[in-house]
Amino acid sequence: MAEPDRISHEQAVELLPWLANDTLDADEVDAVKQHASSCVVCRHELAQLEALARSLEPSSGSLRTPLPDMRNINARIDEFIEQKGRTRKQLSKLRDWFDNSWRLAFITQSVIMVALVGGWLLTRPPEPSFSTLSTPQPLPNGHYLRVVFEPNLDASGLSELLQRNHLSIVQGPSERGVYTLRFDASLSPADREQITDGLTRNVDVLFAQPIASGAER
Amino acid sequence: MTRHECPEDGLRDRKIDERALIAAISRRDRRAFTVLYRHYHPRLNGYLRRMLANAAIADEVYDDVMFVVWQDAGKYRGDAAVSSWIFGIAYRKALSALRREGRHQAPVDRNTDTNLLPASAPGDNELLNAGLAALSPDHRQVVELTYFCGFSYKEIAEIADCPVNTVKTRMFHARRRLKYLLPRLAGDCKEKRHGRA
Repeated sequence: MAEPDRISHEQAVELLPWLANDTLDADEVDAVKQHASSCVVCRHELAQLEALARSLEPSSGSLRTPLPDMRNINARIDEFIEQKGRTRKQLSKLRDWFDNSWRLAFITQSVIMVALVGGWLLTRPPEPSFSTLSTPQPLPNGHYLRVVFEPNLDASGLSELLQRNHLSIVQGPSERGVYTLRFDASLSPADREQITDGLTRNVDVLFAQPIASGAER
Repeated sequence: MTRHECPEDGLRDRKIDERALIAAISRRDRRAFTVLYRHYHPRLNGYLRRMLANAAIADEVYDDVMFVVWQDAGKYRGDAAVSSWIFGIAYRKALSALRREGRHQAPVDRNTDTNLLPASAPGDNELLNAGLAALSPDHRQVVELTYFCGFSYKEIAEIADCPVNTVKTRMFHARRRLKYLLPRLAGDCKEKRHGRA
């Protein structure tokens, strides 16, 4: 007969609880028993563990309990089966619906259409954006006028009028021919009022009105 | 193939083929489920009652465990014994229930925690139960699975889904703690008795 493998004291101590509950493999039993035969500590420990095992082991009487009440678990299982049945029925209805070849063709066509339109929308290049003098822009701090000139006023006349009144074009003309003009920063409020009055009386100007500083057009 | 004595329902002396039962349950065989439910009830419900210390909660958790068995019987691959698989489910459910109930490791302070001490003169079992109640759930599970349920350390590793060395280490610490606790609990009980006298 082969000699059992020798094990260390620590290994034996670790395995003792399962020697006490009789679940070790045969070779482990031999090895632990061989160690215990020459180790007082392990023999003492094993005796304690066997006592512990006896205390916790369920008595045969306790295992012969009355039949457990299965009403709750049966109700849960019934509900589970019913729910599964409902899901299966719904799936089967859905499958039947798809089984119709005309419906299937219609759905396939719709899906393809949606995919194509979606794809086109996603891959379409973005709208180009333009910025012109007529595009509304926020105005920096300053003093401004909205002016509509006589359509027959030529470029040199316009330039001369602006120069004379210490004005410069910052925006415009808009679709309706409105220009936004800025007063020279050196002008006093009285000068600006006088220039505005002059412009409203000028035959080359159809409309002139001051606007609040920093406002958007 | 794992075979156990079935203690109940006219099947007491018959051998139960647990794998065949699980296969039948996976085919939604209610009778096979009833046999398995009754077969496991004494040992597994007893284990849960010990772990949870509350019969009503243990019954509820037992039903939860067996409901998982009903639902997942088809997923059982046979790598582990049926008992390890079912106790594995119970192990996790018991830990969740303990967490839910907020009953983690009971503190053992001989000066303040008198709840651990039985009111009347304690027997060895009462003392032992008080000591076990003071262990952490993981440590206690290993002791209960070993001695109340009779599992090997390899089976406990499967149940707890951890390496065998972890099982051995948990048992080692549980033993050490019990060695520390039991004489003190016994001492406290004696003092209590003498105090009453």
